[in-house]
Amino acid sequence: MAENSTATLSRVNTPPAQTWNYLRTNDITLQVPSISRKGDVYFALPRLFEGIECGMGRQVTDWVESQAKDAHYVEVRAGEKREEPIVATMDTGVMVRAGAEATVVVCTGGGEDSESADEGEAPDTSAQPVTSASLVRIWAERDARVHVLEFVAADDDRQHLESVGIVAGDRARVDVRQFFLGARTTAAGLACSLDGANARFDLSCRYLGAGEERLDINHVVRMRGKNGRANVSESGVLDGHARKALRATIDLVHGSSGSEGTELENVLVLSDDVTNKTMPVILCDEDDVAGNHGATIGSVGPEQIGYLANRGLALEEIEALYVRALFDEAVLAAPTSAIRATVLARAATVLGEEVARDLVEGLGLDGTATEED
Amino acid sequence: MYRPKPSDATIGRLAMSNQLLRVNGISAGTEDKPILHDVSLEVGSGETHVLMGPNGAGKSTLGHVIMGDPAYQVTDGTIVFDGTDITEQSADKRSLAGIFLSYQAPVEVPGVPLYSYLRTITQKRPELKMTARKFRNRVGEIAEQLDMGSSFLTRELNVGFSGGEKKKIEMLQLLLLRPKLAILDETDSGLDVDALSVVSRGIEAYRKDCDGALLVITHNTRILERLTVDRTHVMVQGRLVAEGPGSLIDDIDAHGFEQFEKASAGGEA
Repeated sequence: MAENSTATLSRVNTPPAQTWNYLRTNDITLQVPSISRKGDVYFALPRLFEGIECGMGRQVTDWVESQAKDAHYVEVRAGEKREEPIVATMDTGVMVRAGAEATVVVCTGGGEDSESADEGEAPDTSAQPVTSASLVRIWAERDARVHVLEFVAADDDRQHLESVGIVAGDRARVDVRQFFLGARTTAAGLACSLDGANARFDLSCRYLGAGEERLDINHVVRMRGKNGRANVSESGVLDGHARKALRATIDLVHGSSGSEGTELENVLVLSDDVTNKTMPVILCDEDDVAGNHGATIGSVGPEQIGYLANRGLALEEIEALYVRALFDEAVLAAPTSAIRATVLARAATVLGEEVARDLVEGLGLDGTATEED
Repeated sequence: MYRPKPSDATIGRLAMSNQLLRVNGISAGTEDKPILHDVSLEVGSGETHVLMGPNGAGKSTLGHVIMGDPAYQVTDGTIVFDGTDITEQSADKRSLAGIFLSYQAPVEVPGVPLYSYLRTITQKRPELKMTARKFRNRVGEIAEQLDMGSSFLTRELNVGFSGGEKKKIEMLQLLLLRPKLAILDETDSGLDVDALSVVSRGIEAYRKDCDGALLVITHNTRILERLTVDRTHVMVQGRLVAEGPGSLIDDIDAHGFEQFEKASAGGEA
């Protein structure tokens, strides 16, 4: 019989190079449920996946593997273009063979109908939030194309951990779109290793932090092969007493000559009580490479306020527009109606039912989950 | 002030029209620099007015002052729009009242897709409220009219757009919002022939479909070729120094602004 207890994941989601501890930006410590699976038969992923670095680190990988009922392995055959998205469970491994194309979706919502990886949920016996987790490891062989979509759109009673690891071979193309739209705590790490020559990685991370929510994000791109390209873009809105820490590292490893990595963050801070920490790092051990990073942090600019006011929007409406824009983008990116419904449920909580309805109708999409999903 | 005699037709049109905008003795400027001096101007409903003048005359400033741009302070005079004194009103309220200022250099707004933006500004206006589906169709129609693809809608507002594309987006908003008065601030600047043609088409459509009034701020005449101009105003050094019918534009085209600059300098002396 499974025994439930609590475990501590101490100082996880760490970047490759750390800064002063007193800045409290290096990591996060999380209390998570621990369910004993003694005696359970567990089907693990192929050994190859053990070597994939995941964004939240080894400790989280071990914890998820200890909590998941089973690992979910999907292989996309060489040259195949898989139309149907692969929906990740708590522990998922995806092998995209040479020249193949696939979409991997990770979605965590607040309701029972959402496609979340909730196998590790612990009973809520106290004020502790419900915990959910997703561990996704992807191997993209040469010339493969992989699209990853991540949605976290949960309510304030949830703590979600999401750890992703990707390896890209020669000329492989990987693009990731993350939407972190709500949860009491969202701890998300993503590591991508561009092992092959001419591999490319594009990451767009959009987030919203409001109320007492906490966001802890760790992005790591290891550029190992020659002539790699990485573009990492994070942008979000923080309001209320939200706390956010973002660590973004581009590591130009020895042997990555001709590679170029760019990281750019744009944060909109709507409240004086927000805590916003950003730690961009470029590591470089190679000649003939380029690493760039930039950050824009602040309130809505006076030029933008002027322009939007001239079209009839007061300041609070301008701020609400930025939040709506996040949801518009997420709804449009959602590949199935079930995921769309999850995003819309969150939108209804944040923006109200009327706006949520408007989002889906305006974009010409169906906002209800169907059985096919 | 040089005031050529207006034609009978113009007089008749003005007499019949309702006054929409009345700028009465406005002086304004930035915190440390006065720019406009005792400017008075009247625009009737459905009329097309042109404001011309050399660079740095204060034409754009007047447009922004009418719109309520907080960067400029009004030190004297009043602005009455549609029967209401709006001198103290904020820009968003003036916009909702029916004034639209098209920017010379539209501002980039990262993080806001065009669709979300258009939907939000339309929903703010009770007279334009419509279902999301109808709205999508309406935007599609206008976009087609302006030779714009639907992919524009998911891109961030004005971010990474060419000068011509930005002006098309301004026209898209003009046709969507159907304001009572549109102030077009150097809308023709930096446009190639094709883009200018599309923008001119947009302005024509606004005049035809919305019967709105236009105040076109420009210092060249190409964008005016397709318009029937009711009144022309000339501004030099923050003062309106001449006013006349549409034919005054031909005079300016032939002789430039020198005559007005000299007259203005003489007047000051």
